Amino acid sequence: MGIRMTAWVVLGMPLIAAPGCMSFPDAPATRSLGEKMVAESYPGMPDSLTRRAVQDKAQSICSKVGKEKLTQEEAAEVVRLSRESMKYPAAGKLAGDWQAGARLAYAGQGGRVVGGKVETAKENGALCSNCHALDPGEVNVGNIGPSLIGYGAARGSSEEVARLTYERIYNAWAYAPCSNMPRLGANGHLTPEQITQVVAYLIDPQSPVNRK
Amino acid sequence: MRRVGPGATASLFAGAVFAGCVLAAGAALAQGKPPDPMAVGRQLLAEDNPGELWVQRGENLYREKRGPREASLEACDFGLGPGTLEGAFTHLPRYFADTGKVEDLESRLLKCMVELQGFDRAAIIQTRFSNLDRASDMEALATYVASRSNGMKMDVRLDHPREREMYKAGEYLFFRRTGPTDFACITCHGDEGKRIRLQDLPNMTDRRQMQAVIAGWPAYRGTHSTVRTMQHRLYDCNWQMRLPDLGFASDVSIALTTYLNYQGNGAVIRVPGVRR
Repeated sequence: MGIRMTAWVVLGMPLIAAPGCMSFPDAPATRSLGEKMVAESYPGMPDSLTRRAVQDKAQSICSKVGKEKLTQEEAAEVVRLSRESMKYPAAGKLAGDWQAGARLAYAGQGGRVVGGKVETAKENGALCSNCHALDPGEVNVGNIGPSLIGYGAARGSSEEVARLTYERIYNAWAYAPCSNMPRLGANGHLTPEQITQVVAYLIDPQSPVNRK
Repeated sequence: MRRVGPGATASLFAGAVFAGCVLAAGAALAQGKPPDPMAVGRQLLAEDNPGELWVQRGENLYREKRGPREASLEACDFGLGPGTLEGAFTHLPRYFADTGKVEDLESRLLKCMVELQGFDRAAIIQTRFSNLDRASDMEALATYVASRSNGMKMDVRLDHPREREMYKAGEYLFFRRTGPTDFACITCHGDEGKRIRLQDLPNMTDRRQMQAVIAGWPAYRGTHSTVRTMQHRLYDCNWQMRLPDLGFASDVSIALTTYLNYQGNGAVIRVPGVRR
């Protein structure tokens, strides 16, 4: 009996201490451990690729754990960084060829890595349909982002709409800091010229996106 | 010569089922039902799960004397003592005193194949995932060992400080945005009823959906015509995120698995699961 009691006390200790453990390890320790793991978990990869797993400042701000919210200051900082990143096509025109944009919008290839090498693709796809409905006739579309059916029909195709649309694709976080939308231009996944084509696909009255 | 029999047979079968399910998808859409074109195919597969072939092959590999040391894996300790498989998977990942590390199922198998059987670590990692030309011993072994916990509940404990650290790091990584797509796991797995194209995405902030995920890995993947393990699932997500190849049994993979399995605690294991 005496021995059994002792065993209970000893075994019971960790259970009693458990609530205190819930905060172990603390956030800074967890962050440094997590970052160390990232630095060591892509063995044999060239620097050009391991660099992809290093966060930039905006990504770091946008990585809130659990239900923790972005502060106003942090949101403003992400907007500032995103505005700074904005680049425009050399030719100046922000709405290009909508038919080229139609091909890009449904293309998901480009930039993926296998065996330490980036896949060979003629050009990167714009990835739009992974998350957005676009042409109402196409059902193989995702819903992580809002439906863009009728995007141009609702907004028109003015210079202002073209600029807003271009910027939201180039770096969505300038308007919606930390939204799920990738910063496709700022991250180098799409060229400014490709983005003008996607802009045209979204706003051109001839585009299936705006078909009545 | 390595056997590829199960893969080839299953591949034919899966091809037929998935062709059928494309037709079923069309019918469902025409009737205005929510598009889940893979549901029919998944159900057909689950009723006659080709993954069972991997369980059998895994058991043979586990018992057979193999490798330079001509040893079986029957002395491998998955946490409940050498040779005890029943229930071992329910507590993985966990801390192992002999390595001083938190390890998942596949990293533990890797250790035993190297230390007990004398296989070359790099060679095992080279063949960690099967392809159409070559089966993977790792996939079969992981499926067999996990299946010995079928009917039991996932029960990751986090008693040890290293386990606690691994869990918290996994949580941090689950929400960590990175790469050319700015994705974290949470980007695609944090909301109800979301899809990438027509592929349904589990909401991993919901315990019941998380349990449904955890109950069925390793899983027979119809589109791959083979069984895949959680290590492959995470590698595949990394690939889609445009990140470099995630190291096999890397700490990132083990931390995420610790986080996910703990979130799925209570799930009744049914391995191999069936996935798209």
